[in-house]
Amino acid sequence: MTNPQEEAVERAEDPTYGEIVWGQFQKRKIGMTSLYALLALVALAVFVPILASNKPFIWVVAGETSSPWLASLFDRNFYENAVDIFFNVLMVTSPVVVPGILWLFKSTKGLPGEEKKSKRRIGIFVALGLILAVFGGVTAFPTQSEKTVYPRMEQKLLDEGAEVTAVYPILPYSFRDTNVRESRLGSSFAHPLGTDSAGRDVMTRLVFGTRISLTIGVFAVAIYITIGIVVGAVAGFYGGRVDSAIQRIIEVVICIPSLFLILTMAAFIEDRSIFHIMFIIAIVRWTGPARLVRAEFLRLRRLDFVAAAEAAGYGTRHIIFREILPNAIGPVLVSATFGVASAILVESTMSFLGLGDITVPSWGQILNSGRTTGVWTLILAPGFAIFLTVSLLNLVGEGVRDALDPKLRK
Amino acid sequence: MIQYTIKRLLLTIPTFFAISLIIFLVLNVAPGKPGAQSSGQGESTTGQEQKESYRIFKEQFNLDRPILLNTRFNLDADEVREMLVVSNNLGGDQLAKERIQASDKLDDYGNYLVQHLVVLLDDPDPDIQRLAANQLRAASQSRFVNDRRGDAEAARLQNREIGKANDLVKTWAYTAEATEGEKQAIRQQWKDWYVENQETYTYSAGEKVSIFFTDTRFFKYWDNLLHLDFGVSTVDRKPVLDTVLSKLKYSLSLTTTAVLLAYIIAVPTGIFSAVKQGKPIDSVITVLLFVMYSLPTFFTGTVLLKLLSEGDPVAWFPTGNFQSMDVGAMTTWQSTKDIVWHLILPIATYTSTALAALSRYARTGVIDVIRADYIRTARAKGLSEPVVILKHAVRNGMIPVLTLLGGLLPTLVAGSVVIEVIFNIPGMGQFLFSSINLRDYNAVMAVLLASSSLALMGILLSDLSYALVDPRISFD
Repeated sequence: MTNPQEEAVERAEDPTYGEIVWGQFQKRKIGMTSLYALLALVALAVFVPILASNKPFIWVVAGETSSPWLASLFDRNFYENAVDIFFNVLMVTSPVVVPGILWLFKSTKGLPGEEKKSKRRIGIFVALGLILAVFGGVTAFPTQSEKTVYPRMEQKLLDEGAEVTAVYPILPYSFRDTNVRESRLGSSFAHPLGTDSAGRDVMTRLVFGTRISLTIGVFAVAIYITIGIVVGAVAGFYGGRVDSAIQRIIEVVICIPSLFLILTMAAFIEDRSIFHIMFIIAIVRWTGPARLVRAEFLRLRRLDFVAAAEAAGYGTRHIIFREILPNAIGPVLVSATFGVASAILVESTMSFLGLGDITVPSWGQILNSGRTTGVWTLILAPGFAIFLTVSLLNLVGEGVRDALDPKLRK
Repeated sequence: MIQYTIKRLLLTIPTFFAISLIIFLVLNVAPGKPGAQSSGQGESTTGQEQKESYRIFKEQFNLDRPILLNTRFNLDADEVREMLVVSNNLGGDQLAKERIQASDKLDDYGNYLVQHLVVLLDDPDPDIQRLAANQLRAASQSRFVNDRRGDAEAARLQNREIGKANDLVKTWAYTAEATEGEKQAIRQQWKDWYVENQETYTYSAGEKVSIFFTDTRFFKYWDNLLHLDFGVSTVDRKPVLDTVLSKLKYSLSLTTTAVLLAYIIAVPTGIFSAVKQGKPIDSVITVLLFVMYSLPTFFTGTVLLKLLSEGDPVAWFPTGNFQSMDVGAMTTWQSTKDIVWHLILPIATYTSTALAALSRYARTGVIDVIRADYIRTARAKGLSEPVVILKHAVRNGMIPVLTLLGGLLPTLVAGSVVIEVIFNIPGMGQFLFSSINLRDYNAVMAVLLASSSLALMGILLSDLSYALVDPRISFD
């Protein structure tokens, strides 16, 4: 006869470490609110062409209907930057991907641990595969539409007495098209934040800047966290000479003032793009996560579960990445969240100093034009955008840090 | 402890070497022609003169030398011939970019070309013969003595001799239209000259080894560095070390005041906030500090500048610079007041960023300690609350804050690029910023090296201060 209590313990699923942390995080109001706000910001970045574009959704001239807006989404002449194309792909695939993922999570909720995990993993891979396939497709077969400035064309056609129906986004501007006749306008109904000295709508540039900031923040951190994890894991796992050699290298890198090095490297690259900027930030900043991971590995290396895995005959790679790393990832996650915030700050500092990518509408660049022209909206709007993004990320980071701390469990 | 200190001090030497190597590689591998904009841009100079002055410029700053290791003694005549063909477009189908690259290479290789060019004088192709003879004029130029440490008069005399010899061979060229006899004569002249000077342009095995390691930019840089010579600026030709030292006072007076101020405000605020933990006042302070922490420096600076000095709405403070232009006419007291008046806004900007981080550290430090048993003991003994907090809690709670000072040392000296640029303060940060924009290698290198070695020192100090302040830590 089995003990009913034991049975109950066996049947009830033990929450995984991730589930515990997520549960703790959900109990923190500020962190959760910030996370939702951050998701809203990401959604804004993804769907920004719906808000601002000078291509009309619907364009009817002489009975012919077309959608220049739709045609422009994957047009390398209009959205010159690959980042914009990528976000547009996200936008186009989201009506399929987002409900799909939500359905997947709902339908797998009651399943036992292993099955749930594998089903969810397959679902996420399918979604990622779909997004990447579409992105690959549109980059492999670039479309090109004619360079028409529709608002002007509409005006011209109306003057000629033709019948035109055009439906524009709320902000019928492109972030790049200059218009000298409308330079340095103040706030108005048409231009909520006015225009800059080249006559570009500031609001449009600001919302498109969200894409740039988030991309640089996330990708720079993803790159350096990867470097940091590999280097730190190797140092902590092998110890001894390997460790002290890696330690010396890390010491050398942290001695060089990071902002100085970042600015110098940026200045010495001609035609720098935001991809250069990500890499520059990454190669200066990888030492932080490397030290964290190393310390965690040094600690975990001596625990029994590692010895057990070794005794079971698993290979080194399996032990490092499948056994130790999941237990060491917590502090890295926290530093990654703070890292995104600080990478966004570094990027805006670079573009503020004129050492960023000058072809993209970056917040720092708008702020710099505000400094040189002395227009208040050009200073306050991007300043607030940076402040908001950085604050939200820091608040989420603090929430995750507290959720990971066993002393603060609620 | 002493043993540990000595060990750490000795370790700084290879670390410094590695730092210099990294910075050197970053600067030198990066594309872009240094000084191309600063040499020979006069309207009257012909292309040839411009090229020659740029060659001399590169020679002066060792830019014609390879970066780390030199294998140029290993060239052979065929490679040289190929370079001549490409740079002069003899094939007729070279891209401009390839031609420029090849011709730059020919210029940089200098003396190492001589022995091969002499061989090419007898090339079956008459074009190659002519190009070889003409290239020899540049390749045979001897370097001027460029040693700013040695005897200046002797160097001048020596350089005059070198100049004479260099000028002599410069005329030995001919054009494609010259008669066969003239061509023959010039080529013969070169061959005779080579027989005379052969030893200078051929290399023994020992010489090759020495060239391999020492005739490089990095070696020359370090050679100078060991004599505390950071080189001269490619822009104004003044020694960069002097410029960097002269910038130090601006950065230091800005940053030390700001950091001191930040500590004076942050530590009491942090302690107060920790003591009142959970009360509304603590929340207010925490939120305020959080806002300050998330505001970018350049935003705070720009807003302060616009609000308070650009007359929008008020103009209480100057719009930038370290002091007024008419500082010479002032008394000491007046000029001090003037500097303070100029520095209030930049210091406020700097302090607000440093303050937030420090204060958060102070708060966590005290909160961690306040729950400890010995604090409860102190209270149980009947000590008054101020004594418990200030004498017992703060002492231990401040250890992390104190050791942060070591990490702040490099930022102190390096100043802040952003603040110095916004407020137009002629310190280290602004100097670095203008130097990288002008591609002034020596200046950038000096600023980066100086600030890195200070960081190295700062890290060492903060590690040692841990042991000094906290007797529980020992390194033995």
